[in-house]
Amino acid sequence: MAFLCRYIKQIGKSLITFEPTRNISLSATTCLREITEKKENNVLTIEAHYVPHKKEHLQLKLDSKACSLCATKLNVKHTDVLILSQFLRSDGCMLPRRVTRLCDVQQKRVTALVAMAQKAGLMPNLTPKSSKKNPKRRRDWKKFNMYFDEKTIKNRYRNY
Amino acid sequence: MSLARRGQHWGTFARIWHVYDAKWQDPYRSAKLLKDYLMGLYKPIYHPLNDCGDHVVVINSKEIALRGDEWRKRVYFHHTTYHGGATWTLAWELHNKDPTLIVEKAVYSALPKNLQRRHTMQRLHIFPNNKIPKDILENISNQIKQLRPVPVRLDHIPKEEVDNFPQLLKYPKDYVLR
Ligand SMILES: [Zn+2]
Repeated sequence: MAFLCRYIKQIGKSLITFEPTRNISLSATTCLREITEKKENNVLTIEAHYVPHKKEHLQLKLDSKACSLCATKLNVKHTDVLILSQFLRSDGCMLPRRVTRLCDVQQKRVTALVAMAQKAGLMPNLTPKSSKKNPKRRRDWKKFNMYFDEKTIKNRYRNY
Repeated sequence: MSLARRGQHWGTFARIWHVYDAKWQDPYRSAKLLKDYLMGLYKPIYHPLNDCGDHVVVINSKEIALRGDEWRKRVYFHHTTYHGGATWTLAWELHNKDPTLIVEKAVYSALPKNLQRRHTMQRLHIFPNNKIPKDILENISNQIKQLRPVPVRLDHIPKEEVDNFPQLLKYPKDYVLR
């Protein structure tokens, strides 16, 4: 009896929120979206369009279920800006774990390493618009070179 | 004495001039390295009573790198011996006033505390940039290896290398680029 009741309830629910099943997807699945803003004579047009992923052929093919940093067994330093910049937005903000797909330890490690690299002024082109792009033009002690020891990061992976 | 042996004799007792590029180097760790050259500790003929120390020319002392928050945590103390004559200067303030002083003080405190220290310091020449006077430059015959590699800024890496670098991150489908 209970089973029958549930079955009827489910049919009723599907009738209320009716949605036709679609077999054709309207967007190409391998594409990324990009939003552009244009301003012409007080008319602001916000446009979203699909762009192909440019660096898809450069992606590392890993046969491991671990996250990309654990699978490659890389000992990333804060001076490895070519690796760290991949996990950033264009304004230098760290991408969330949902996007980076790193494990908990590596996500926290990369976040700390990015902060170190930004403080040392190694990624001045990935900063918010308001920032001074040249690290030599910063104020007080910030204009001088500084380096960091990776051992000071709390989140350890493989003892480094 | 053969000619080769005489040359070896000469080379052993000659003062060598070393150059050290302090760009992105820690002055306190470099001081421990430079101390060996200034005192001649690396030489097999070393003895505290024989004067076998070398000259060291430090360039780019303005570009030194301190670790972590040391620029605003390390304090230099000075007392004029008058009442209220004590001053505490932060490392970045001292570096603003004279970009050679931090390296000089680091080497000075790394040397053993004896009467020879001030004479050994006379063999250390520090320049804030890479311009060395001609009379010093013509003596230099050796370069000391830097302790840590000089990091490269992301905007100074050629675009070709940045574009062809292997990617670790795989964007999820329908990710909005920013
Ligand atoms: Zn992982």
